[in-house]
Amino acid sequence: MAEAAAVAATEMTVEMVKASQLGMKALGAGLAVGLTGIGTGLAEMAIGSAAVGATAENKDIFGLVLLLTVIPETIVIFGLVVGLLLLF
Amino acid sequence: MAEIRAGPVPYIYVCTRMRVRKSKLLPREEYMRMLNMGLAEITRFVGESQYKREVDELATSFRGIDLIETALSWNLAKEYQNIQKITPGTLKDLTRAYLRRWDIQNVLTIIRGKLHGEKKGKIREVLVPAGELDRVFLDRLLEEPTPERVIEALKGKGIYPILSRMTEGGVREEILPKVENELYKQFYADLIAYAHSGIKGGRQFLDYITLDIDITNIRTLFRVRADPSVSDISGVLIAGGTISPQALQRVFQIKDTNEFIDALVPLIKVRPLRELLEKLREERSLREIEIELIKVQLAEMETMSKLHPFSIHPILAYLEMKKYEIFNLRALARGKESGLAPERIRGYLVV
Repeated sequence: MAEAAAVAATEMTVEMVKASQLGMKALGAGLAVGLTGIGTGLAEMAIGSAAVGATAENKDIFGLVLLLTVIPETIVIFGLVVGLLLLF
Repeated sequence: MAEIRAGPVPYIYVCTRMRVRKSKLLPREEYMRMLNMGLAEITRFVGESQYKREVDELATSFRGIDLIETALSWNLAKEYQNIQKITPGTLKDLTRAYLRRWDIQNVLTIIRGKLHGEKKGKIREVLVPAGELDRVFLDRLLEEPTPERVIEALKGKGIYPILSRMTEGGVREEILPKVENELYKQFYADLIAYAHSGIKGGRQFLDYITLDIDITNIRTLFRVRADPSVSDISGVLIAGGTISPQALQRVFQIKDTNEFIDALVPLIKVRPLRELLEKLREERSLREIEIELIKVQLAEMETMSKLHPFSIHPILAYLEMKKYEIFNLRALARGKESGLAPERIRGYLVV
């Protein structure tokens, strides 16, 4: 009797498996966006500080350094795309 | 604490600024063009360049060569003070320690000026208040009537103990070179102790100090060799470089130039310096040798600043290059005023 109850408790229904998969996908999407966001932040930290330094000395290069500073944004965009692909 | 929180960001910021400033220094071609200009044209050229503000400020009080001299000194001092303002944390401390050499130069300039009875305004023109002693303090020193009073007014400052000990019997022209040697020895000893004190970036700073000491000692070696009456140079060599003063003293005893170079080259670790010494086997004037040594030092500092892009090296490289830009412009202006031929002035330029 007790054995039958234990088997029933560990058995998973289809709904439970689907919910678990959805949860893992959401976790994966979250990690993809979050970690790439951190990566982008680290890259932009160095580029941004150099860009501010260069602009402080020569204001004419503002447009160029702004472009260079946002290049690491591509990393987080990749993460976002992966996240969206996982969810939809 | 602010520095720890900010991580490498302030270092990247300030080192980039130094690189941009370095790129704005006058290129070789400009000096070559200026060699063919007259003093008035050079003054106008300087007045239209990055020295515009200083030239405009001083144009009502000075004329001709005095205007250029004073504007250049002011610009150098302002530049050094500005760099101290923008450098963060330990980089600021290291930069300040390096700039203390200007205190020695300024104080000795004032003492020499007072000894020769120069006017205050004339001495002030060549002062560069970039170190611990600011413009207000240097002005106070200039007000003192005698060299002895100047030294007394320095009580409490780092250079006072040596100055007072060595000038106990009165300040005379003959003892000033010895005082200068002692002050620089103390300066370098302090820098080495500071670099070894565990400060962040101390190792890179030490690399620069040893290079500077080696170049200074080799320059001294060549200078003293030009005077056959000198047999002992232990008093003028600075300890702390990669080559010990004892080894240099041994090399100094060799009179034949080829043998002298043969003995000196194996002691040197910096390859460009070894290559330069090989070239110095043929007869060269002392001025040429000194200029070549400065060029090697600047090139080596540039290499160091590339190896350690976010350290004290880019700042020191810029500070040194800026100093030699001022020296070059001053040499050009002075040379033109004295009517020297362009080829002759060219020999005095570090380009």
